[in-house]
Amino acid sequence: MLAYNTRVAAKSLRRHPLLTAIIVAGIALGIWASTTFTTVRHMFARDPLPGRSDRVFYIRMDNWDPAAPYPTDGRGKQKAIPPQITYRDSLELMRSQIPLRQTADYVTQTVVYPDRKISRPYTERVRLCFSDFFAMFNVPFQYGHGWDKRADANAEQVVVIDSATNQKLFGGANSVGKRIRIADREFTVIGVLAPWRPFIRMYDMTQNFVGEPEPIFLPFNLTPRMQLRPFGNVDGWQNIGPKYEDFLASDVDFVQYWVELRTPADAASYRRFIDDYVRQQKKSGRFPRPLNNSVLSMRDMMTEMGVVRPQLTAMAVMSILFLVICSMNLTGLLLGKFLARAPEVSVRRALGATRADIFLQHVIECELVGIAGGIIGMLLSIGTLRIIGKLISDTARMSLDLEMIGAAVLLSLVAGLLAGVYPAWRICTLQPAVQLK
Amino acid sequence: MEIGPITRALLRNKTRFALIVLQIAVTLAVVTNAVNMISAERKEMQKPSGFDDENILSVRSRPFSPEFDKQEYRIASAESDLRALRGIPGVVAVSNTNFLPWQGGGNSGEAKAAGGDGSSYRTQQYVVTPGILQTLGVKLVSGRDIRDADIDDDPASTHSTVMISRQLEKLLFKGKSAVGQEIDTAGGTNTVVGVFDPFYNPYGWPIHEYCIFYAGHVSRSGARFLVRVKPGSMKSVAPMVEQRLLATNDGRNVESKTISEIKDRYFTQGRIVIGAMAMVILLIVIVTGLGIVGMTSFSVTERTRQIGTRRALGATKPAIIRYFLMENWIITNSGLLLGIALAYGLNYVLVTRTAGVKLDWRFVAAGVALLWAQGIVATLAPATRAAAVSPVIATRTV
Repeated sequence: MLAYNTRVAAKSLRRHPLLTAIIVAGIALGIWASTTFTTVRHMFARDPLPGRSDRVFYIRMDNWDPAAPYPTDGRGKQKAIPPQITYRDSLELMRSQIPLRQTADYVTQTVVYPDRKISRPYTERVRLCFSDFFAMFNVPFQYGHGWDKRADANAEQVVVIDSATNQKLFGGANSVGKRIRIADREFTVIGVLAPWRPFIRMYDMTQNFVGEPEPIFLPFNLTPRMQLRPFGNVDGWQNIGPKYEDFLASDVDFVQYWVELRTPADAASYRRFIDDYVRQQKKSGRFPRPLNNSVLSMRDMMTEMGVVRPQLTAMAVMSILFLVICSMNLTGLLLGKFLARAPEVSVRRALGATRADIFLQHVIECELVGIAGGIIGMLLSIGTLRIIGKLISDTARMSLDLEMIGAAVLLSLVAGLLAGVYPAWRICTLQPAVQLK
Repeated sequence: MEIGPITRALLRNKTRFALIVLQIAVTLAVVTNAVNMISAERKEMQKPSGFDDENILSVRSRPFSPEFDKQEYRIASAESDLRALRGIPGVVAVSNTNFLPWQGGGNSGEAKAAGGDGSSYRTQQYVVTPGILQTLGVKLVSGRDIRDADIDDDPASTHSTVMISRQLEKLLFKGKSAVGQEIDTAGGTNTVVGVFDPFYNPYGWPIHEYCIFYAGHVSRSGARFLVRVKPGSMKSVAPMVEQRLLATNDGRNVESKTISEIKDRYFTQGRIVIGAMAMVILLIVIVTGLGIVGMTSFSVTERTRQIGTRRALGATKPAIIRYFLMENWIITNSGLLLGIALAYGLNYVLVTRTAGVKLDWRFVAAGVALLWAQGIVATLAPATRAAAVSPVIATRTV
């Protein structure tokens, strides 16, 4: 019966090609706008570490000026707490045995000296991190792997490079074991990343979070030996001496700290660990402000850092309202179309078709239109998203993921139903006798 | 006049008209809020920095030669770079500075007036060499500009010579002159020699107009410069920058970017919001307009016989057109009434849930006018067709 109804519905659509085209275009327009703008929002809002982001936590500790709290944007959403921690505290936190994985990391820039035949030396962004970084953020490797805990402990001169750097320096070949000069020393390539461009740079939300990951990763503990200074967000409130050692020992915040905790019980004991650490530091005169620490899951951190701009949500809401308008508009068209068919329907009713049959047939007709419009709308949306992605960043890719394709299909079906259910109801409740006279 | 019969006729076809009423209501709500969002974004974009944005180039030297490890060499190199940049035809002024307009952030720190009430305020802070005011194109409002003699590059020094922005002077010194006064910052004590205006550089915190310029060189992670050119000479100056700087020392890479490019990037998301909202407004007005055309056409077709009868009984063509316009006007107004409520409702949700901006009533007024106009335009064609119905129709039998 369903197949028959579908056939009748399709036939009815073919009979008025122009009207059908208008209706399909209406749905397509609505789906295009709503899919595009809900996807734009979704690209920012979606879980960057599916299934794990509620176990990955970001650590902040308030080591700010006793005279004034850490400044906020004044809109009241941000906590008055420095977004990063100090170098010295990050080394202390690394001693904890509670986390499954943990890493301190920060961004700097330094000079890469390729073989002079390949290119001039160039300045590159580099991330200093611990071995757990790669597993924690699902970083994909093409060749080799990240370094291990021993390399962390001994500050071994090993490097992980991204696929573009591997292309540039080694022509894309497996370069594991090859050597690169970075700043004033030689490094051995231990891993090469597969192309990796998360839309949100989830491991560092303190700066432009739609930026690309750094092309080079080095062990964090090389920091003092290489006398590296951070190149990202740096917050301080005290005057510090001119020497590099003064800088590392200071209360300047530039390190991001992430932990992965197995269970809520671990999370609770880790929170206690952080509080105890700060209390103990207070005894030596550090952390002069009232106890104010934060252990936030990655999702909560994204909310606090304002990763989803409010305008994106507003745009998504408006685009869905536009789809509603399109649907309502089609209701009018379909009403006219269906009622014009009253004589034909009455004949079918007289010949034994039930009201349910007639209703079903017309709803199916609307859903066919919805699906056709939905597919066209989605194709248009894929193109539009490409353009918007390009505008946001040269390398950012915006596209429909499975979740959004599902949402778009659902929206098309709902739009078709919304537009068609009333006209279908009207036609199936007509009195056949009146029409047959 | 005909309002009574028109309304009664409308009420016999409730659903069809309710659909249009709802569409108009949602359209008004979406259009007014979209315009409101566009206006909020544009307001941000149109705030002037106070600088000669179109004619400023940012230049960055990224050294890799070992001689740049020594501070004395870096400073001497920055000075020779300044001379080289000034020597390029078309260059008006140059400063060695870590200030970069429109990058969405910068450097900041706490500052308080020495001997003031003790409260400290967050302010933007940058290091500059003399010539910064001409480079940005801002005015000295009191005191004097910094000079080469004011520059102190000793990292252990706890005293600097500074200029501050007019707004920071107001904040710190409450209407008194800052010239000759001292300001305490994390780096030590600073003597204010001059006050400049205007200054606006959007920041993550509400400190967009507060700024301290310290006299000094910026060289540690590569020297950075702002270069102001004569209007129209950006195209000729930009390619010469790298060439001239590499001629003095090629143990480095040189990058440059115009402030216009940086500003464009800063407002990318805002432009996406504006483009998207403008498109939604356009589409929604078209779609609703087509809906009105469709509905009116449908009711004209449906009432051909009644129209013929009215014409036969003496109704003039304008009377028929008036009938449909009046019908539309009643529908539109019901829609608008509901729409105004919806518009404020939607705005309330946007303000409370997404930190939107409060709806400006003028946009609502404009939206009402727009939809009135749209109603008339969309009804006119079908109504004219109705007026063309011949009275003879009335005499025809089924």
